[in-house]
Amino acid sequence: MNATSALDFTSVPERIQSEVQRAIQRSIKGVEYIASSGPMPGATPKDIILSRGTMMLYHYRPVADELYRIPILIVMATTNRGYILDLAPGQSLIEFLIKRGYDVYMLDWNAPKPEEKNLRMEDYVLGFIPECVRAVQKDSGETDVNIIGYCAGGMLSTLYASLFPDGPLKNLVCFTTPIDFRQMTLFQNFSDRRYFDVDRLVDSVGNVPAEMIVTSFDMLRPAARAVGQVQLWENIWNDEYVKSYRMMDKWGADTLPLAGEYFRQMTKDLMWDNKIYNDTMSLGGRKADLANIKVPILHAVAEHDHIVPYEAAKHLIAKVGSSDKQEIILKGGHVSLVAGANAVKRLWPKLDSWLGERSV
Amino acid sequence: MATKDNDPAEMWRTMLGEMEKGFNTFATQTMTSPEFSKVMNQAGGVAAGAQKQLGDMMEKYLVSMNLPSRTQLVNMAERLQAIEGQLSEIKALLYQVHHNSGASDDRFASTPKPPRTRRPPSTEGGSK
Repeated sequence: MNATSALDFTSVPERIQSEVQRAIQRSIKGVEYIASSGPMPGATPKDIILSRGTMMLYHYRPVADELYRIPILIVMATTNRGYILDLAPGQSLIEFLIKRGYDVYMLDWNAPKPEEKNLRMEDYVLGFIPECVRAVQKDSGETDVNIIGYCAGGMLSTLYASLFPDGPLKNLVCFTTPIDFRQMTLFQNFSDRRYFDVDRLVDSVGNVPAEMIVTSFDMLRPAARAVGQVQLWENIWNDEYVKSYRMMDKWGADTLPLAGEYFRQMTKDLMWDNKIYNDTMSLGGRKADLANIKVPILHAVAEHDHIVPYEAAKHLIAKVGSSDKQEIILKGGHVSLVAGANAVKRLWPKLDSWLGERSV
Repeated sequence: MATKDNDPAEMWRTMLGEMEKGFNTFATQTMTSPEFSKVMNQAGGVAAGAQKQLGDMMEKYLVSMNLPSRTQLVNMAERLQAIEGQLSEIKALLYQVHHNSGASDDRFASTPKPPRTRRPPSTEGGSK
């Protein structure tokens, strides 16, 4: 049917009235938008357990009367702030977990300082993560620890799990974790070894600036920012939409620089040589073979992930040596998998169900 | 009454969504070509050089105008970040001191930790 002929002209006055009201609201809220500073995410009460340079370990204060025995250490992606998992009451994975009785810690990242430009993947996998695991053990008084890793945090956690097969890791959960870097086609092309001189870049800038990381993410969906602005204007009368938009926008803009050597290593070992997928990854002289991972593992991936496509993530479950392993594919994208209204309905209950029975 | 099928606002939103998808698909196809990578990386190198030259000129201009330059502001931001970092380290140390000594002047520190006895709902007949 022709769209124009399908218009119901009897409702035109109502529509005009509604649109006029929205236009007025847009003008009022638009001024409010410019004048206000926006919501403050990451508000769930927490204590800083460890802080050194780029590494930061938080403990979220428990609220349940009874806790699961095994504490959780969340390892955040190195490019982004951890408050994406603690956006606002009712939209916070952290709040959800502590209300469900989990004892939650988070390894979050500060922007690496200029003197930290030489940090390598070894520092993250053999240094920061084990140090935080020890701190969690000491603080909680428990020997076993569960790990949840998001994106690059999942990749680092997977490498850690492969290099420490004798524990204390008890269960591993990964969200959108890349394994086959050939399948990240746009990043592959941006970093084509024939044209991309990573040595020159890192040698000249030290740490890779956040602007460069933001630009490369934006280039994966070049129209998204402009369309987002149009949608914001259209919905600016809607307080909930604006709040959600501002939190996501703030988080997106709050991208972190990457330590120079870590970036060089990611480019050469992962983007160019695809070492995790090819089972040739070594850290500190030790082979990081995913088959060494024997702990129960859950991998949650997003159907429409434009940053880590399913083809890049699907090999994790196939490669680990665990007998208790599960992959769940959920509707949504790289961020909406873990945060926002859809995550509340889709991922969080599944995570609770899987982790709860393995955390006693 | 307007429904999803005949609502002009809904049609506009659908059109916007389709335009976004179409543009992103086209851009993705373009950006996966080796030519794009070559041009992008060459242009990036040239732009970085030009930006450095322009930055150096602006730096001199701002100094002559007795105004703070970008480098100075970045240095200040780094100093603030270092102060924030040191504050975090002090907070972490304070937490450890409280934790080790069992001090009771902090409201939370005096609260006993909940027991680690929770069972998943499925093993309790859905009581939790």
